[in-house]
Formats: sequence, structure tokens, C-alpha cells
Amino acid sequence: MLLTLDLNDARPLHEQVAGAIRRAIGEGSYAPGDRLPPARDLARALGINPNTVLRALRDLRDEGLLEFRRGRGVSVAGRADGRALLVQRARELLEEARKHGYDRDDLIAILEELP
Amino acid sequence: MNPRLAAISWGLLVTAVQVLLPMAVRDRLPDPLATHWGPGGVADGHMSFLAYLAMAVTVWGVPWLAVLGAAVRGRVPARRQGRMFCWGLLAGMGVFAAGMNATTVLANLDAPHWSAARLPGWGVPAVIGAMLAAAVLAGRFGRGAPDPAAPPGRTPPRLRLRAGQRAVWVGHVANPWLGLTAAVAGAAIALLAVLHLAGVVPGGLAASVLPGPVLILVLGLLTSSLSVHVSDDRVVIRFGPLGRPARRIPISKIRSAWSEERSPSGVGGWGVRGLPGSATIMLRGGECLVLGYRGGGQLAISIDDATRGASLINALIAERVEP
Repeated sequence: MLLTLDLNDARPLHEQVAGAIRRAIGEGSYAPGDRLPPARDLARALGINPNTVLRALRDLRDEGLLEFRRGRGVSVAGRADGRALLVQRARELLEEARKHGYDRDDLIAILEELP
Repeated sequence: MNPRLAAISWGLLVTAVQVLLPMAVRDRLPDPLATHWGPGGVADGHMSFLAYLAMAVTVWGVPWLAVLGAAVRGRVPARRQGRMFCWGLLAGMGVFAAGMNATTVLANLDAPHWSAARLPGWGVPAVIGAMLAAAVLAGRFGRGAPDPAAPPGRTPPRLRLRAGQRAVWVGHVANPWLGLTAAVAGAAIALLAVLHLAGVVPGGLAASVLPGPVLILVLGLLTSSLSVHVSDDRVVIRFGPLGRPARRIPISKIRSAWSEERSPSGVGGWGVRGLPGSATIMLRGGECLVLGYRGGGQLAISIDDATRGASLINALIAERVEP
């Protein structure tokens, strides 16, 4: 599972981790039914507290993306929720726009110009 | 000849020898007959004729049917090593069973009583030598055409790292069978301890049996699961559920990484296989992450999602080692 975290992201860490996992699943590295690496491994690789990873996994379970099974670990329940992925990409797009000096309204204007 | 037909004919032939040889000279054998000899060829165990006949058939029949079943149902004969193994086992076990039968009958021939049967000293080494020779020959002739070349390793897609971004890859693989083996060994150790404390098993016997299950427990635990982390400057391979021991490989030592399909029968079994420089850490057949070292040599690790891990390693090499 390839996880990318933005070092300048101001959101809470568990949201960032949830976003990274959602993106990894959305990009197809894990299909429905596949088991995720253990939370402890993810935490160790990212250098963060395992509880933060667990909180992110629980958020994704509540979203319906993951399912927890006793003794079988965490596995992918279904396709990544389209809207959740879109929200995430939109947030990233907004950050990118701000780096280049455009604000929200400019971005909306750009979107409206698109056919 | 059709290999399946050949295996069945061979099995029937050996079974016939197992039954007909003692039957043919039944009048000249004592009943019960000697079936076990101590040092110096002095008989110290015996069996009735019918029990001996049943044992002679079972000793061959069970492994024969087991190999036949594995070969027909499984994918073992699909690989050259699997065919070599099957034929070697069939021929070796057949010659061994028939040889033991023949030496036993020969030793008992015309003996007035089972305790008078003498086993000639050359008997056992001759049977073992014939078994090995038959196994090697059958493996050589039964191996067939070489395996088709493995599909070349896939070049992973390029990954671009952005500044201000931290990328890590975590791969994990578990083999429940190896975990189960460790659990069985652990249960055996616990049972042994209980029996020893209850006074059923003496200390000397317990101590002589113990190393076996302990070794299986440790090896089973270490190879029941595996995880690989790729982060900023190194690849870390962690063995077992505790993540220990861990092997760390600096990214700067790696020339490139890719993913490849490998199977246990292709690398010689499960666990850490091969010599340093071409080793494979094999927990299950399928996708493997292969690290090619700068100093030559490579290390393959069976792991899920290996392609993405290889992409990240290559991106880190391009960014950190060869900027």
C-alpha cells in the first residue's frame, strides 16, 4: 500500500492518513476483499502512533470503504466512495490553486469555464 | 508411455512383488517371521505372516497413492522440479519397499525359528544404495522438457515524488499454513511440558524430543508473516508477527527494483531460499518484489502489491541517490 502524506497539510493527522488510504484504494492497489497491511505496520512505516492509524481505519469503516473482521484483520469492503474521493481531490486542487495565487472563487470560475 | 499409466503400472508391479514374493516361499519361512534386527544382525522383533504381508503392502501402497493423488490433483507435474520429485519418490520408495521385503524374506528363508534368522550386514546398505540410484535415475528420465522461461520481470510504472510530500509503501503477506504449523508445534511443547510435570514423560526423553518442536515453532513463527516497509532512505523487511528480526537495506545499495512472479517449486520451497546474491524469501507463490543490488546479486521477497513498492523504490533511487 503506497501512502503519501503532505508535510504542509494542516488537517488532523488521522484525516490525512484516512485520505492517503482512500487514495491508495481508489487507485486500485487493493480490490474489494483484499486485506490491508496491519495497522501497526502502517504506523511503523509512517512513524506515527498506531492509534492514529486505527482512528483513520475506523473512519473509513464508517464510510463503508473498509470492514473489520475478528481474526482476519481489516479488508476492503467495496469501491472507494466516489464522492469522498472527489472531495479529497477537490481539496488537493484547491491547495494547488492557492499555491499559484488563485482562491476558491477563481477555481470555481475555472470549473465553470470547462465544457 | 502416458506418465499416469506408467505410474499406475509401476505401483501395481511393486504391489505384486510385495505380495507374491513372500507368498511364493511361504513354506520355507518360519511363522511368525523375524522383521527387525538389532546391531550385529540379531533378530529382535517378529510378526505373523499375514501381519507382515499387510505391512509390506501398506509401506508401499500409502506413499504410492499419496504421490499419485498429489500428481493428479495438484499442479506438481506442471514443473520440471515437481516431475523430478514425483518420479524420484515413486521409484525410490518402490525399490526401497521391495528391497526391504526381499532382504527380510531372504534372511528368514529356511530358518527353523524367527530368532534364528540372520540379516546379512550388506542388506541395508544395498537396499539404500539401490533406492538412491533408482530415485536419481527416475528423476533424470522423468523430468521431461525444461520449464518455459518465467515471464520477464515487469518494469513498474514510474512514480514521481513531489516536494513536501512523504511517501511510504507498506507490503504485507501472511501464510496461515506456516502459522498453523507453529501453533501445532507450540501445542506439542505445552503437551510435553504437562506430561513431564505429571510424571508421565521422564526428563531425559522430554529433553531429547524438545529441540524438534522448538525449531519448528521458531521457524514457523518467523515465516508465518512478513512485512516490507519502504520509506525515505531504506527498505526494511520484518519477519514474523512481532516484526523481529528485521533486515534493513539502505536505498543507496539498490540499483533498481521490479516485480516478478515466482513459485515455491521454482525456488526450492518455502522460507528463505537460495544463496546470498540470489535469495528468495518465499511465503507464497505469486507476486514478488525483487531488489537488484548495485554490487550485483538480488533479493526477492514474496509480497502483495509489489509493483507499487518497486515504483517507490525506483523513485527514491532517482531522487535521493542519483539526483
